[in-house]
Amino acid sequence: MKNPLIQLNGITKVFRVGGEDFSALHEINLSIEPKSFMSFVGPSGSGKTTLLNLIGGLDTPTSGEIKFGDESLGDMSPDQRALYRRENIGFIFQSYNLLPVYNIYENILFPFLLANLKESAVRDRVMSIIEQVGLMPQINKRPSELSGGQCQRVAIARALVKEPRLVLADEPTANLDKENSYQILELMLDLNKKFDAAFIFSTHDEKVTKFVRREVGLEDGYVRWDKRRNGVGDFE
Amino acid sequence: MIRWLIKGMLRDRTRSLFPFLVITVGVALVIVLVGFMDGVIMGMMDSTAHLDTGHLRVVNKPFYDEEHLNPMDRALGSQKETGDWLKKNSDPAIEWSPRIRWGAIMDVPDEQGETRSHTPVMGMALDLLSQDSTELKRLNLAESLTRGRMPDKRGEILVGYQLARTLELEINKSVTLIGQTFDGGIATDNFTVVGFVRFGIFAMDKKMALMDLADAQETFYLHDMVTDWLGYLPAHVSFHEYDEYRSRLESALKALIDIHPSGWARDDLPMAVSILDQRHIRPIAEKFLVVRKFIIGIFLFLMVVVLWNAGILNGIHRYGEMGIRLAMGETHSRLILSLVGESLVVGIVGSVAGCALGGACTYALQEVGLNMGDAFAQSGLMLSDVVRARLSVGGFVRGVIPGLTASVMGTLIAGLAIYNRSEANLFRELEAG
Repeated sequence: MKNPLIQLNGITKVFRVGGEDFSALHEINLSIEPKSFMSFVGPSGSGKTTLLNLIGGLDTPTSGEIKFGDESLGDMSPDQRALYRRENIGFIFQSYNLLPVYNIYENILFPFLLANLKESAVRDRVMSIIEQVGLMPQINKRPSELSGGQCQRVAIARALVKEPRLVLADEPTANLDKENSYQILELMLDLNKKFDAAFIFSTHDEKVTKFVRREVGLEDGYVRWDKRRNGVGDFE
Repeated sequence: MIRWLIKGMLRDRTRSLFPFLVITVGVALVIVLVGFMDGVIMGMMDSTAHLDTGHLRVVNKPFYDEEHLNPMDRALGSQKETGDWLKKNSDPAIEWSPRIRWGAIMDVPDEQGETRSHTPVMGMALDLLSQDSTELKRLNLAESLTRGRMPDKRGEILVGYQLARTLELEINKSVTLIGQTFDGGIATDNFTVVGFVRFGIFAMDKKMALMDLADAQETFYLHDMVTDWLGYLPAHVSFHEYDEYRSRLESALKALIDIHPSGWARDDLPMAVSILDQRHIRPIAEKFLVVRKFIIGIFLFLMVVVLWNAGILNGIHRYGEMGIRLAMGETHSRLILSLVGESLVVGIVGSVAGCALGGACTYALQEVGLNMGDAFAQSGLMLSDVVRARLSVGGFVRGVIPGLTASVMGTLIAGLAIYNRSEANLFRELEAG
């Protein structure tokens, strides 16, 4: 097995809800390779989003260790975790979360501005990804003028434009119809190959299952199954 | 990033328009209020200074100590020498005017030359006849005449129009002034009343008479003497600075006295007082400063509260944006900093607009003024009937600083919620839309 991109060792996450402890994740051990295209599946409350939060550095585990490459997220300060997200992670959300007052170009440019890069230095990269997601004709449009599928393409472009090593997508097809869902998944699969970025989905959409190469099933905070396949076909 | 943020502010008016309007109106109101209050207090001071006290006053100490008795024997001698010394040794911005305060009975004879009416009057003698006299303009005498003309030769006087009414005076009527001379004798002289003046100050209109300085020196035997040298500062000098001018002048006078002068101050003890030390003006000025600070403080507080709420509404409106920015790796402190940057831009633009609006209104109030004559009619204060605002750099500063402070503080307080926002819930929050 290649050196893992993410290594989860004995991850437990306990929330305090209504004065009582609630364990969202129990002793999770997972290795995620670079360029993965995988999903966390399971019903609501199974711990999918909590796991994405932890991998994305948005939250810290109650116990256990998360390693990104050689770095342990547990050793990072909040500002270092912010830097980790800025440099390594792209996020895709179910409801796109585009910035409504900016056009497509400006939305996709934003991650570079966060990294204090000048627009002139990154313009070509922004234009290139817009072309790759097929939105060049809509470049000057704002999110309110786009369809759901187009919005999600912008969100994907925004997540990938800085060429992160990992893209976390929470229910990326939940707001899309069947046709748009397939188009978006195909696009992400294509970009996964082009950009060498690992994609992790949190989903209970069966359409996603057809595309991923690995599926981790979660239930009540436990890993119930971890299936892999090469190419198209049934999981092993 | 700054360009990107400004673009967002321009496109999303809910983000900038309301705070902009609050700051514009707040800054404008502060400028107008401060300008109006400055105008009232400085108007009062200028009226008092022009007619009575000067902004600075050089007077013989024995005269000052017993001023209520108007002791002419304690007037300052050597008028020309004194004037030359003051011009040479005081701030060049100060204009000096020699004056004589006098008091007398004004007797109005009937056709047979018998007393028809009489009344005590308070008088001021000043340079009315010189070609280059600055007093006429300072007191705005030509425009204040209700009847008659300005004196153009010796032996002519002006009286307050209310005084003229009380004594049933006519223009060109002769009156007799009966007073006390420098050396304690009785002074009597006839004068021709050539004009009635409306000073705009009730006490003056009812009791005041003006004569030329040389006439007073002759009538009261004050050869080469004056009771006061009144100093006038330019309009831009605020009353806060009067003490400084006074103290510099006082030091110069002290140095002069200490070397035992052989000249004009030989027999006198000249002292400098500012208007603040006369007519109980200092306590009024101090209270005015407190009230002004209070008003600015109230406006600052109100603007902070309104902008804080605007900031919270803005935070709610942009909840998703803030969330996505945190998720994408913007630190809390940088996020707050960018919001403060936005509020600073809004604050600056709003302050500029507020300055323009407030400045225009204050300028209009300065040029046109408000006629409060009816309200002041029974007042003994030396207040001009027309109250004018005063536009000053200080007024703008007092408007802009609360505007900018309120804008930034409102954002910072509202930003606390963003600062405390937990990233652990971002996915759920952002999915909620």
